[in-house]
Amino acid sequence: MKIKTKKPAVADVDMTPMIDIVFQLIAFFMVITNFEQIQADERVKLPSDSLAKPPVVKAADELVLNIGFDRNAEGEITDPQAYIFYNGEQIPVLKFGPKFEQEARIYKQKNQDPKDVPVILRADALVKTGLVQDLIKLAQENGFTKFAFKATQKIE
Amino acid sequence: MKLRSSGREAEKIEPQMAPMIDVVFQLLIFFMLTLNIVEPEGDFNVNMPITDSTEASDEPVLKTDIKVRLVANEDGSLNTIRVGQLNLGNGPNVFAGLNHEILKIIGRPGSPITKDMEVELESDYNLHYEYTLKAVSACTGRLDPSGKHIIRYIEKIKFAPPVGGPNAGS
Repeated sequence: MKIKTKKPAVADVDMTPMIDIVFQLIAFFMVITNFEQIQADERVKLPSDSLAKPPVVKAADELVLNIGFDRNAEGEITDPQAYIFYNGEQIPVLKFGPKFEQEARIYKQKNQDPKDVPVILRADALVKTGLVQDLIKLAQENGFTKFAFKATQKIE
Repeated sequence: MKLRSSGREAEKIEPQMAPMIDVVFQLLIFFMLTLNIVEPEGDFNVNMPITDSTEASDEPVLKTDIKVRLVANEDGSLNTIRVGQLNLGNGPNVFAGLNHEILKIIGRPGSPITKDMEVELESDYNLHYEYTLKAVSACTGRLDPSGKHIIRYIEKIKFAPPVGGPNAGS
């Protein structure tokens, strides 16, 4: 009679599902961080430029403003008035002064000088330049002096 | 003799769903990533300290400023760019032309005079923002041939009050 020789029970770890899951997690977090980085508003169609490079040093605090138009599902502008999309509100550009005041006050409470806080302007390509300049003026009146214009990186 | 029963139920092969779903998810996420929903964004930094316009006019003009004037059409598109007295028109290469003009003024990129130089952009109120941004870009520099590094021309950009617009009279 043949006796079955018992092999030492080495638990063979099945790597396949583990690798699968690890890949899933990696991909998931890659997607998530991509979305998290920018406080973007999908209604703003940024202009593009090849010189627009992501900042090397990211400021700890920044005030991101999305300036754009009301657009329908096809992306056509439905209202010629430009708005700032701010915390879910839609504020006409020239009425943004009080909000700047409020932001400046918050930064001061956190012991930060508004002039060290960059204001990131994500303006739609079709916004009037004068309007953007008016907005900058409003910001300056409340102590903000650093500005950055956002553009999508054009890859040629 | 006993025949091995080749029952019909034995022919049914259960497809393994788990690895298939795994792979499908991988593909899905791979294509989601490659689609590039969120385009990479970059920015142009502009420092605009608060200055009194009266104070500025009293100051003797020591530094050499380059004045760039952007003229708009009625609909907000670009009509022409003027650098000093030179008219660059509005062709497809107008921003390359502006870039070239700036290079001619500063001599070579990174030369010491660029530190004290400022570009003053004066644009029409209704000009679309994309043209202003392109002008800012053309003044700040260009990409080197490899396309990886930026050759800086002039770092300091300032804006003159817009021409025309609702507040023109006041």
